[in-house]
Amino acid sequence: MKKVICSLLLLFLYGNNVFGQQSAEALVMESTAFLKAFFINRFDVNVAVARFENDSELTDTAMQKIYQMLISRLENEKNIHIADLLINFSNGRGEFNLGRADDLHFLLGLKLIQNKSKTGLGLTIFSRLQDKIVAIKYFEKALSKGEMDFLNTRNFSFSELGFSKLLEFESKKNLMDIQSLAGSDGRDQYFFYFPDEIVIYLASNMRLEKYLQFKLAWTRPIYPVLHYEGKLLLLQMNQGLVLTAGNNFSPYAKVLTFRNSQWQEIQKIDFVPCKYLILNQNPYLVGARYDEGRNYFKDKIYFMPFSDPADRAGIYEKKATPALALDFSVQEGQLQAVHLIDRNYNYHLFTSEFAEQFPLPEKKGASLAALGGAWLAVSDYTRTSDQLFFYDIQNGGQRLVYSEKIPGEIQFISAGVWQNIRGFWTGVRQERDGLERFMVQFWGKRDGQR
Amino acid sequence: MDKGKLLLIPLTLALIFAIKPYYGGEITIRLNEPTSFTLNTANYSNLIFYSLIYDNFFYLKKNGEIFSNVFQEYRYDAGSKTLSLTVKDNLSFSNGKPLTARNIQVSLKIFMNSDLFAASKLSKTVKNVRVNENQVRIELLADNPDILSLLTAPELVVLAENEMSFSGMFFPHEWEKNHHLTLKANPFYAGGRTYLDKVKITFSESTPPDLFLANPNQFKENFREFDSGIFQNIYLCFLQNDMGQNTKIALFTLLKRFNEATGNKYKELRTLTSDEESPVSIQIKTMSPQKTASILKHSEIKLYILASLSNLEKDLAAYLKNSNFKIETLFIDDSQLMAFLNSAAIQYLLIDKIFQKKVPAEEKISRILKESSFNQFNARYLRMLSELDEVKFSNSQELLMEQIARISEAIVNDGIIFPLFQKNYSLYIHKVWPAIEIDYYGRPLLQKVSKNND
Repeated sequence: MKKVICSLLLLFLYGNNVFGQQSAEALVMESTAFLKAFFINRFDVNVAVARFENDSELTDTAMQKIYQMLISRLENEKNIHIADLLINFSNGRGEFNLGRADDLHFLLGLKLIQNKSKTGLGLTIFSRLQDKIVAIKYFEKALSKGEMDFLNTRNFSFSELGFSKLLEFESKKNLMDIQSLAGSDGRDQYFFYFPDEIVIYLASNMRLEKYLQFKLAWTRPIYPVLHYEGKLLLLQMNQGLVLTAGNNFSPYAKVLTFRNSQWQEIQKIDFVPCKYLILNQNPYLVGARYDEGRNYFKDKIYFMPFSDPADRAGIYEKKATPALALDFSVQEGQLQAVHLIDRNYNYHLFTSEFAEQFPLPEKKGASLAALGGAWLAVSDYTRTSDQLFFYDIQNGGQRLVYSEKIPGEIQFISAGVWQNIRGFWTGVRQERDGLERFMVQFWGKRDGQR
Repeated sequence: MDKGKLLLIPLTLALIFAIKPYYGGEITIRLNEPTSFTLNTANYSNLIFYSLIYDNFFYLKKNGEIFSNVFQEYRYDAGSKTLSLTVKDNLSFSNGKPLTARNIQVSLKIFMNSDLFAASKLSKTVKNVRVNENQVRIELLADNPDILSLLTAPELVVLAENEMSFSGMFFPHEWEKNHHLTLKANPFYAGGRTYLDKVKITFSESTPPDLFLANPNQFKENFREFDSGIFQNIYLCFLQNDMGQNTKIALFTLLKRFNEATGNKYKELRTLTSDEESPVSIQIKTMSPQKTASILKHSEIKLYILASLSNLEKDLAAYLKNSNFKIETLFIDDSQLMAFLNSAAIQYLLIDKIFQKKVPAEEKISRILKESSFNQFNARYLRMLSELDEVKFSNSQELLMEQIARISEAIVNDGIIFPLFQKNYSLYIHKVWPAIEIDYYGRPLLQKVSKNND
């Protein structure tokens, strides 16, 4: 009798493990085990999920969770290199960035199927070298209603570990951009770009102290605007520190260098530089022109060789689409992708060769910025409830990891650094009791050291 | 409503309230056809039209807030009795030519020399206007902290030296006479580029407009109605003092009948301002049709009509043709009228005046006396105006009303002006457009009007 009681106690104590393993997790574990077995004698294989379809009762949100679980388990497998190419889930389909499919050895296809009360996961392995399907496997589990509801809940991560607001303060109105630079004394310098001046601050503990400011004397033609837009770029070159400042009210961007303890204009260029990057071992300034007086870039991207800031020769252009926001993700100085939001608030992704990836009509926004090649921050486009979305773009995919509600309207986002943590600056317009305030925020991951 | 439309509503609202507004699109406005691009704000239609191509020094919102697009700073110093206006840097007219403090000075002087009540009120206050780099300094004769409100007159606009250069939100692009006029967004507009690319001003009934003026309480289904806050009065003026009373009454009678024959488009007016506020009612007895005919049949009358009333042209010409009288109608601009005033050429003149309902009756009557007595303004009228100014400060409503009545009787009995009709206007805006703000003068402020882009 004692033995029976003891066994029952054990069953109660470990009940969760014995009977209650989540069915979705079991599906993922069995898929991982199958893939592990399949790749066991292969080494250094590049694998990615390239198709994921859903014919089950689960939503796109649940699909994303299952996908994340699968990817995180496969990342632990030593003999395979799993690439996360996911861009978006929409209408029961995953959309993947296959711009770099040539680097892959195997592509995985997943399908969720509803079979009466059970949910099935179909797995197809396609060998790119053999150009054929090499394995198919189907797993099936009964997902309870509670588990389904939980999977369908929109939370992908722990916000405490994700991007959080590390700094917030009020600024003068019409701030257009912020860029930073590591100072020679180890203190970071922060450049705040206003329509008529640049104000430089020094970081002091958790505060910013004004260090220097200089006027930007714009000359005619000036196109007065209702909404100021502009981009600032800082470059440490052989010739010294170089700064470019362009906007939507002047057809020319200024190029300035720091000489004899002051900023001097050395050149004007007729597009707004957004990024400095290396193409074919040559440095380039890349940017676009604003439609004069309005809030969007025209449809061309300009590339200007920039080894010598005083030389303007050799500019070439690529056709894109008119954009409310535009940024370039760069890894190790090389262009990875072009991200833009068109005039209908739709997000577009272009490869480094300027081939547009399939349209993503579900994905909308107003402002965006890429943090190197690791993260993409996109703001929502409606006034009533602004949000900030953070996507993981590490492997060329685009996985929504964190989102935060923002009181106010995000006017710009730019990648930056605060207290050695990489993240995003946002300029937010807030209105309360008829009074308007302009807030500057820095969003960073506490583990996101530069 | 089908499901598609239901889904479209939140999308449309989302786009209207998008953080980054949509630039582009066109709005169609139905107005009377202007005679030229030279500023002429004599009627409500013109008041709206010219507000699109000329920028005002200052704008007055319905809530009393005053703002400017051309000045970055304006400061009144009571000690030196000087108003300093600092012009924004690097402003340009629509053709790209610089807009400077000198243009402000010249525009202000042109306004102060004009024959307008608001202009004479301002010029009586101003001692001199000086320019110092990007600053215009207006020195006053006496301390007047309300000086800024005098600069909100809709006729006080920024004028360029070149006639085909404009300071407003839009500039004329294409004009198909008798049909429509297209305005394009001025890329150099001091207040900032408008969201709209174009404004189409249509003069015909054929194109359904997004915005138009009409009698109040109509078009409830698809349009939002805005009280313009203004009314338009039409008067028959007699510019020579040796004209027969019978002919005056006969012509007055004929015009009253014209209104009846064309469907009473205008309300009868029995005062010089408005029936609701005037202390006196003016009864001018009309004649029988037979008596009117017997007086007018041997007369050769040239009836001059201000160009702002050109919308009457077609109907009036047809009516007079049918009546078989020798009455010729001639439409003239304000500028031409001034040139004719000292000759005997003009005897009969049909004019219109627009008034803000909120403006006090005493100010309206002053304006009528000053602006509509033309070359017959005399010392007696000047004395009556001085007396009106005095009673304004007496705080006696009774005395004020008496003086208004006295002035009204004097100019009607002297046979200078007969009130004919009044028209009240509402501004109608199609519901597809988001809320459009209307200023104190009943003008739609189109600068931040954005069409959704769905």
